Amino acid sequence: MMATISPIERAVSEPPRIRRLLIGLALVFLTLFLFLPLAAVFYEALRKGLGVYFAAIVDPDALAAIRLTLLCAVIAVPLNLVFGIAAAWAVAKFEFHGKSVLITLIDLPFAVSPVIAGLIYVLLFGAQGWLGPWLAAHDIKILFAVPGIVLATVFVTFPFIARELIPLMQEQGIQEEEAALVLGASGWQTFWRITLPNIKWGLLYGVVLCTARAMGEFGAVSVVSGHIRGATNTLPLQVEILYNEYQFAAAFAVASLLTVLALVMLAVKSLIEWQARQTRRAALAMKGEF
Amino acid sequence: MQFRLKQRSVLPGFNLALGYTLLYMGLIVLIPLSAAFIKTTDLSWTEFWAIVTTPRVLASYQLTFGASFIAAMINTSAGLIIAWVLVRYSFPGKRLVDAMVDLPFALPTAVAGIALTALYAGNGWIGGVLALIGIKIAFTPLGVIVALVFISMPFVIRTVQPVLEDLEAEVEEAAACLGATRWQTFRWIIFPALRPALLTGFTLAFARCIGEYGSVIFIAGNLPMVSEITPLLIVTKLEQYDYRGATAIAVVMLVISFMLLLLINLLQWWSRRRHAA
Amino acid sequence: MSIAIRALSKRFGPFTALDNIDLDIQAGELVALLGPSGCGKTTLLRIIAGLENADAGQIQFNGEETAHRPVRERKVGFVFQHYALFQHMTVFENVAFGLRVRPRARRPGEAQIRAKVEELLGLIQLDWLADRYPSQLSGGQRQRIALARALAVEPQVLLLDEPFGALDTKVRKELRRWLRRLHDELHMTSVFVTHDQEEALEVADRIVVMNCGQIEQIGSPQEVYDAPATPFVYQFLGHINLFHGRAHSGWVRLGELRVQTPEYQNAESASATAYVRPHDIDLLREPEDGDTTIAAIVSRVHILGSLVRLELRQQADDELAEVEMTRDRYAADPLQVGDVVFAKPRQLRVFLNDGHSPELPVWLGDGDGI
Repeated sequence: MMATISPIERAVSEPPRIRRLLIGLALVFLTLFLFLPLAAVFYEALRKGLGVYFAAIVDPDALAAIRLTLLCAVIAVPLNLVFGIAAAWAVAKFEFHGKSVLITLIDLPFAVSPVIAGLIYVLLFGAQGWLGPWLAAHDIKILFAVPGIVLATVFVTFPFIARELIPLMQEQGIQEEEAALVLGASGWQTFWRITLPNIKWGLLYGVVLCTARAMGEFGAVSVVSGHIRGATNTLPLQVEILYNEYQFAAAFAVASLLTVLALVMLAVKSLIEWQARQTRRAALAMKGEF
Repeated sequence: MQFRLKQRSVLPGFNLALGYTLLYMGLIVLIPLSAAFIKTTDLSWTEFWAIVTTPRVLASYQLTFGASFIAAMINTSAGLIIAWVLVRYSFPGKRLVDAMVDLPFALPTAVAGIALTALYAGNGWIGGVLALIGIKIAFTPLGVIVALVFISMPFVIRTVQPVLEDLEAEVEEAAACLGATRWQTFRWIIFPALRPALLTGFTLAFARCIGEYGSVIFIAGNLPMVSEITPLLIVTKLEQYDYRGATAIAVVMLVISFMLLLLINLLQWWSRRRHAA
Repeated sequence: MSIAIRALSKRFGPFTALDNIDLDIQAGELVALLGPSGCGKTTLLRIIAGLENADAGQIQFNGEETAHRPVRERKVGFVFQHYALFQHMTVFENVAFGLRVRPRARRPGEAQIRAKVEELLGLIQLDWLADRYPSQLSGGQRQRIALARALAVEPQVLLLDEPFGALDTKVRKELRRWLRRLHDELHMTSVFVTHDQEEALEVADRIVVMNCGQIEQIGSPQEVYDAPATPFVYQFLGHINLFHGRAHSGWVRLGELRVQTPEYQNAESASATAYVRPHDIDLLREPEDGDTTIAAIVSRVHILGSLVRLELRQQADDELAEVEMTRDRYAADPLQVGDVVFAKPRQLRVFLNDGHSPELPVWLGDGDGI
């Protein structure tokens, strides 16, 4: 396909041989480490037939895990969404002392191992933890119960939306908001009618990333859950339990649900990026005309 | 630390937004994290040192950091090639490949763990082939590297890609006009421009690998002294209700992670400054 | 080194960038490729450099075909519009780059490289910037460094793509005089692309005016300005007044004006346009006999330093026309807005609107204007 290449094209590109070699290397690497593992999930899930597959999914424990996973996401994502918007508003629209420290602190949960994220909640709420005795006295269960799982999920997904919004809002500056205020809009009106429409794609992207992580988190949730079947098992934990019990087909069946979810997230992400590119291209085209 | 406005702004909501940000961050992140550090003060310095330097713990550091370093190196080289191919060449299915590169970010680590194990175990598609020539991957330290390569794959690709896209074609043309071969242009012009991005991507991947737990525990075999990673050791100690031991090791990991985070910030600040002109 | 371009064509998809170009550039000449954006001038320059392929045609350096010589073996110096300096290298390293990447056998020693770079930095009078990075330099300094870098490999041809396009007016004027002086010192065959007619007129030995992928005219700055070969060249170089009319058996009638055009002897009521430069019009207080003037009213007077520009409204059709004269000439009879005048073109050029054009402009004698 690249047979007739002249010496001139070679000046700023590579000979076809090298191109094919590099494309080949990249595809082999991605096949070994990305595409084959993906295929393996579905292969293993369906290996014992559709009957086993569906039985694993409609198992009461699996259904309970699905419910808990969704519940975690439904609580964690909105919490981090409000935080992300507040943090991005403060960081991107104002100049203040200590801003770079704040940005670094927001990134902190990315740097913390999920296991440690679980551990710190055990230290806080566990029987020997700071709040453990008080919680026990008042009969409030956080650790090895749903609240602990939600908290751990909130922690590990904490930076996602803020990280997405901060650079975007910094790039957009404050001119449009200032214009709206000069025209007599109130602060809330400015936010709802000017800022929010400008950041909607970035916001959606952040929500997608946050949701994916919230539903898939394993390490942190594993530490705080106590692995109580039908009560404190999320989908990833259900996968682990089935796998450790050598119910491979069932484990992969539940895993395939999470994989489909991941693929849907990727599709939504591609769609958002495509949409954002279209908007930008349209904006550039407009500029070109004047 | 005092968060004070440098100049008055006409935009409203600074106090509300910053106040909420600090409150929420304090409750969710800072107070729980400080719990880990305060918990270690239960221990004397000698006790702490004894816990974090037992042979089993040292072996786990060696595996965690060694495997993370190798995985990040593999991903740096492969990531450069993949980013290059995605930006510079066209081939069938390129857009699909580009979208799929983010899969390790979207796929739960437990799923990655069992899928890689199925694939690289002795009876798996790849493990079976390698077994014929006597290479074992699953349930050995090599398995740890494979899992880490998977979960940290997108970092280098996604940091290098935008830089490569923004490189001016004119600069490469200038080098060609001055008589440089294609390799010389890459070595002396393109590569130096990509270096900050490669370094940032490497550090991000490395930091992610160190803390990884979910994908590794399935494929590693988890033999103490051989294929046991540090996060697993923390979990093991927790399960034995050895909170002090778990916390001591966690604090070591945290300090290292914070230093890496600082390094990443410095790297990004440095490359921004160089590109500012 | 001389460059011969023969029947060169280049298309980008449906767009024809270059259409059958023939051009000879003599050794040691400084040639400007002048035209509006999209006329193909940059494409032509890039094909000469070997950065782009032609679809058809040939380019010969000293009579030698170049199609199979890759860019790095062509020994061309190319200066890019946006400088394309290597950001991570100092000024010194930038200039030395071309010498350092030579094959080991032809690579000069470190001392020689240092001497050569210092000599070049001296030539562009920026030797004191050797250790700076490009981001620390002004636009004009960057452009001179880019030029020094191109010269370091001792090219046989120097190609410059809109070399001053990204600079502000004052720096641009300084740099183009400097480029002219540099060329007079080095006598290197040089081709530069510009869309700025003033730049081309001031700097070049010869100007190649291009439009829509074709060459409209090749000539010295004076030739292309005084005797444009086509309506396009007329309009692109300098200001122009247009008068529309009809040509019939050797005469053209343009409103009240009647002009003899022997070259259109056979024209029968053909649509024609006359081109007159603003400074080629005399203004009379009284009409002349023989349909040689156009009645108009002065509608505006602009005093622009040493020049005075008057805007006229033609009485017959309300069309506007522009006249320029020196301040002294204006002082002799200072016309005011509302004055009735009779405009007499001293020199005009008639083109039939079917594209056919005569060889020479029509001279209308030395009318004694105001």
